[in-house]
Amino acid sequence: MAIINLKKKEVQAKIVYYGPGRGGKTTNLEYIYKKFRSRIQTEMVTIKTHGDRTLFFDFLPIEIGKIKGYDIRIQLYTVPGQVKYESTRRLVLRGVDGIVFVADSLAVRRKENVLSLKSLADNLASYKKSILEIPLVFQYNKRDLLEEGIPLLPVEWLEKDLNSKLQVPSFEASALKGPNVVQTMKKIIILTIDSLRKDLT
Amino acid sequence: MAQQRDEDNFRSQVEDRLDHLFQEDAPDGAEEQVGLVEHPLKNLKAVLLSIDWEITDSTMDSLLNEIKNVEYVYSEDKILLTFLQLLGSIGRYVKANKGRAHPEATRVINSVYEALEKVALTEGMSRPEKEKMLLEEVAKFKKLKEQVVLRKAEKKEPEVVEVSPAPPAPSPEPSPERERIPATGIPAREEPEPEPRAEARFAAPHEAFAYALEEIKDVIRAEFRALRAEIKLWRESK
Repeated sequence: MAIINLKKKEVQAKIVYYGPGRGGKTTNLEYIYKKFRSRIQTEMVTIKTHGDRTLFFDFLPIEIGKIKGYDIRIQLYTVPGQVKYESTRRLVLRGVDGIVFVADSLAVRRKENVLSLKSLADNLASYKKSILEIPLVFQYNKRDLLEEGIPLLPVEWLEKDLNSKLQVPSFEASALKGPNVVQTMKKIIILTIDSLRKDLT
Repeated sequence: MAQQRDEDNFRSQVEDRLDHLFQEDAPDGAEEQVGLVEHPLKNLKAVLLSIDWEITDSTMDSLLNEIKNVEYVYSEDKILLTFLQLLGSIGRYVKANKGRAHPEATRVINSVYEALEKVALTEGMSRPEKEKMLLEEVAKFKKLKEQVVLRKAEKKEPEVVEVSPAPPAPSPEPSPERERIPATGIPAREEPEPEPRAEARFAAPHEAFAYALEEIKDVIRAEFRALRAEIKLWRESK
C-alpha cells in the first residue's frame, strides 16, 4: 500500500519486478541505475549470493519530484526468482502498488513463466489483492537473443500464455541492452500513480 | 468535465516528468555483436542460457550432448576442443551434484563459454591470444576444482568430484579419459531443488517472515562456507 502523507504532501509508491529466476528482473534495475544514476541521485541496494543470484531483493528508490504539490517517490523492488524463496517473494510483495512481470522469452522457460505468474496471483491473494485489479505491465525480456538464433517464444504465445485474461500493457525488451526497459518502467509508474490519484484529491 | 480535465492534466504532468527524468540518449550502436545464426555454437549457447540453479537432468543432458556435438565439429582444433572439455567437465560435475554444486561452477561455466565464443568467432585472432584466453580459463577451472575439494572436506558430505586432468597448455591435448571419483566413495545423491517450505505457504505474516529469515540464514551459512574455503585457499597460496 502506498504511503500517502497528506499533511506533508508526500506519496511513496512501491513497484515490484516479479518473474521467474534468471529472467532479468535485477538486470532491469541495474540498467536503469547505471543509465540514469546521475539524474535519480539515489543508491541501488542489492544483495546477491555467491553465485550472483538475488538473495532477498534489490531496491532502487527514485525521486520523481513534485506533481500537483505532492512529492512523489517510487520504490522499485525485485524479488528473488528462485523457486525456493517463495516466502521471501511474498514478503517483498507486501504493500505493493504496481507490478512489472518480467517474463523470460527463452523457449525452454515457457512453463516457468506460467508457474511464476500463478505464484504472483496466489501471493497477491494472500494480501487480499487481485492480479486483475492491481496495476500490472508485462515485459517479454531477452528479445535480443533472437538475432543470435536462440530459440525464443513468439510474442503471440507469451501473450496467450500470460496476458490473454489480464489484457494489460506489454513490452518486448532486452534488459541487458536497454530497449523498452525505460518504457516498461514509465508505464508501470504512470499506471500506479494513476491508481493512487484518487487518494490525492 | 472539469474532473476529467484535471485527471488528464495530472497524467500529462507525470508523463512529462518521467520523460524529462528518463530521457535516453541516442543508442550507442558501438557494441557490435557477432551473430550466431548459423554457427555450430548456436545450440550450445541456447542450452547454456536455459540452465539455471534450478538444474534438471534433462537440461544438463542437453548441455552434455550439445558439447559432444560441437566437439565433433571442432575435433581438429585443439584449443577449441580444450575449451569444450572444460565445459564438459564442469557440466558433469554440476549434473552430479545439482543444487549442492559449488555456486562458482555456473560462473566458471559461463566464463569458459564466453571465452570459447570469443575465440571461435573473432576473425584474425592470433594463436598466442587464443592460448592466453584458454590458460585463463584453465586457471579458473583449477581454482574451482580446489574450491570444490575444500568445500567437500569442510562439509564432509558425499559429493561427486569430477576429476578431469586440467588440459595442458599452451598446446593442450584433448584428454578423453576422465576419472570420476566419488569423494567419499559414495555416489552423489540425486537431490531435487528444495521446494518452498510447505508450512510457509499458509503461514501468518509473522510466521512467513520467520521462514524467510530461515531461508536467508541457510544461504548466508552457505556463503560463509564458501568464503572460508576461499580464505583458506588464499592463505595457502601465500
